[in-house]
Amino acid sequence: MNITVIWTLAQKELRDALRNRWFLLYTAAFVGLSLALSYMSLAGAGIAGFAGFGRTAAGLINLVLLIIPLMALTVGAQSLAHEQEQGTLAYLLAQPVTRAEVFAGKYLGLAMSLLASVGLGFGIAGVVLAISDGAGSPAAYVGLMGRTYLLSLAMLSVGVLVSAMSKRGGVAIGGGLFLWLTFVFLGDLGLMGTALTMRLSVGQLLWLSLLNPLQVFKMAAILDINATLDLLGPAGIYAMQEYGQRLRIIFLALMAAWIVLPALAAYARFQMRGDF
Amino acid sequence: MQGIAQTTQASTPYGHATLQALIDAAKPGDTVLVPAGVYVGPIQIDKPLTLEGRLWPVIQGDGQGNVVAITAPNVTLRGFVVRGSGTSLDREDSAIRASAPNSVLENNRIEDALFGIYLERAADSIVRGNTIYGMELPLSRRGDGLKIFYSPRTLVEGNVMRNTRDAILWYSPDSPVRGNDFADGRYGLHLMQSDRHVIEENILRNNSVGVYVMYGSGFELRRNLIINNRGPSGYGVGLKEANDVLLEGNRILSNRVGVYSDGSPLRPGSTVTYRNNLFAYNEIGLEMLPNTERNRFHDNIFLDNGQQVTVAGGGDLLRNEWAMDGRGNYWSDYAGFDADGDAIGDLPYAAKSLYDTLTGVYPELRLFQLSPAVDALDLAAKAFPLFAPQPRLSDPAPLMQPPALPPTPGLEPAPTTANLIVALVMVAAALFIVWAGRRGPGGRRYVNVGKTHRATARS
Repeated sequence: MNITVIWTLAQKELRDALRNRWFLLYTAAFVGLSLALSYMSLAGAGIAGFAGFGRTAAGLINLVLLIIPLMALTVGAQSLAHEQEQGTLAYLLAQPVTRAEVFAGKYLGLAMSLLASVGLGFGIAGVVLAISDGAGSPAAYVGLMGRTYLLSLAMLSVGVLVSAMSKRGGVAIGGGLFLWLTFVFLGDLGLMGTALTMRLSVGQLLWLSLLNPLQVFKMAAILDINATLDLLGPAGIYAMQEYGQRLRIIFLALMAAWIVLPALAAYARFQMRGDF
Repeated sequence: MQGIAQTTQASTPYGHATLQALIDAAKPGDTVLVPAGVYVGPIQIDKPLTLEGRLWPVIQGDGQGNVVAITAPNVTLRGFVVRGSGTSLDREDSAIRASAPNSVLENNRIEDALFGIYLERAADSIVRGNTIYGMELPLSRRGDGLKIFYSPRTLVEGNVMRNTRDAILWYSPDSPVRGNDFADGRYGLHLMQSDRHVIEENILRNNSVGVYVMYGSGFELRRNLIINNRGPSGYGVGLKEANDVLLEGNRILSNRVGVYSDGSPLRPGSTVTYRNNLFAYNEIGLEMLPNTERNRFHDNIFLDNGQQVTVAGGGDLLRNEWAMDGRGNYWSDYAGFDADGDAIGDLPYAAKSLYDTLTGVYPELRLFQLSPAVDALDLAAKAFPLFAPQPRLSDPAPLMQPPALPPTPGLEPAPTTANLIVALVMVAAALFIVWAGRRGPGGRRYVNVGKTHRATARS
C-alpha cells in the first residue's frame, strides 16, 4: 500500500464530502442544534449559579445519538455504491491503484470529514458554553467529543458495509436509513418490551443493550462525565458493582469492534465484488 | 477544691509525657497554655480546665483506644492537633471523647482518627471550627467523624470533615448544625431519633447521602448546599418518618436523588414544607413513596433533573399540595403558557410521562435514559391518549419564571479560560481539516481523480 496514494485519495474524498449537500446539511444541523442546546442550558446555569455541564452534556448525548448515526450512516452508505453507479469508481479502479488503497483512502477521507463536522459542532457550542460560564471540566468535554467521534466511525463502518453490499446508491441509502431507525429507535423499544415481557435480569438487559453501539456510546459518555452509572438505575449500578473501572475498557473494546469488524467485512466484500 | 483559677504557661517546649502532668498539676478552672511540641497521648482530663494550644501542639496517640478523654464537665480544648487513635469499631476509638456536659471543643485539627469527636452524654457542649480527617480505610471500616450521642443542646458549627463515615446526632435534640462542610463520607449528616434541629448553611458534598433525617420531628433545613451525593443509595436529603420538616432555600444539585421521602410526615397533623429550594441536575429531583401526603411545595425550582419527580413503585402524589396561596413551583419542563400575564401558568403542570411512570414500576428501564427511543415513547403516549398514564402530580399554579433564591455557601465558578481554549482548538482543528481537503499535495489543486493519481505516481 502506498501512503501517498491513500492520502491523495483521502483528500479527494474529503473534497467530495465538502461538496456533498447532505453532509453539509447534517453538519449545519448538528452545529445549530448543539448551539441552541447550549443556549437553553445556560438559562439554567444562571439560576443555579452552578456549572450545569451535567445537563448540557446529557442534552448533547441525546443530540449525538440522533444526528451522528444519521450523518455517518448516510455518508458511509453513499460512498461506494454511489460512485459505482456514477461510473467514477470503475474509472478509479482502472488506474494503477490497488483496491486496498482505494478503500483505505475513501475511509480515511470520510473519517476526516466526520472529524471536521464533529469538531465544528462541539467547538462552536463549547465557545458559547465557556464564555457564559456554563461549562464544566474541559477534560470531560474533550472526552465526550472523542467518544462522539468513535461513534461516528462505527456508524461510518456500518454505512460503508451497507454500501459495499448494495448494487445501487438508492438501495444503500435506504439500507442505511433503516439501520439508523433500528439503532436509534427500534432496538431500544424492542429491548424495553422484551425486558418487560420476559422479565430479563439486569445483567441480561445490560449486555443485550450493549449490543447496540449507541448504548455503548451513551454509557461510556455518562461514565466519563458522572464517574458512575447511577443515572441508569439498577442496571447501571449493577454494571458499576460488577465491573467497576473495567467498564471503560469494555466500552472501548466494544466500540473498537464496531469500528473494525464492519470495516473489514466491507473491505472483504469490496475485494470480492466483480461488478465494481 | 476551691482554688483560684489562674493561667499557667507551661515552660517545657518538648515536654513529652508532660501534658498529663500539667493537667494533673492544674487546679479546677485553670487555663493552661500549651506551647508547640509533640505530646504523647493518651491524655485524660478529669477536672474543669481550659487547655489552649499555642502554635498547634500535637497530641500523638499510640494507636490504641482514645487519644484525649474528657470525663469532667466544663472542659475546653482549643487549638490542638490530635492524631493516632486506635482502630477498633467495637470500642469506638476516638481522637477526642467527651463524656461530660459543657465540653467545648474548638479549632482543633484531628487526623488519622477512627472516630473524630465523640460526645457521649455531654449535654450543652460546643463543637466549633474543628477539622476532622478520617483514616484511609474502606468505608465499612471507618468510624464517625463526629458522633453526638445523648447530648442535647449541642452546637455544631463551622467544622470541616473529610474521609470519615458519618456525622451523626443521635438522641440529641435542640442541637443546631450550622456552617459545616462535610465531604467524602457516607452520611454527611445523620439525625437519628432526635428532635428540633436547625440545619443551616452547611455544605454537604460527595457523600453517599447529604442529610438523612430518621424518626423525629421539628427540622429546619435552610440555605444548605447539597451537591453530588451519589452511590447506589445516594440521596441529597433523605427523610424517613420525619415530622414537621421545613426545607427552605437549599440548593440540591447533581445528586443521584435530590430528596427521597419515605413516610414523611408520619404523625397525623404534621407536615413537610418545601419552599424556595432549587432541585437541579439530579438524576431524580424528588423521589417519594406512593401515597405520601401532607407535603407542601411552593416557590421551588425544579430545573433539568433527569426525572423531576418519581413515585417509587408506582402510584401518585396527588394528596400533597403543589401550590400554596396561588403560587406553585417553577418546572423547567413546563410546556404551558401565561395569556393573562400574571406570571402564573394558565395550565396546570402535570407529570404524566409514560416513561417516568414505567420506570417507577420497572426501575431497570432507567437503562434507556437519554435514548431517543424514550422521547419517541412519550410522544406516542401523547399522540394516542389510550396509553397515557394518570398524572402523578399536578401543580395548579406553575410559575413562569424561577423565583429568586437566597445565597448559599460554597459554589465554585467554572474554569472559563480552559474551556474556551479547548473549544477554540476544536474549531481550529475542524477548519484545518477542511483547509487540508481544499488543497492537494504540494499546494496544487486537482480537477479530477485520474490526474491526481498520475501526478503522485510520477513523483
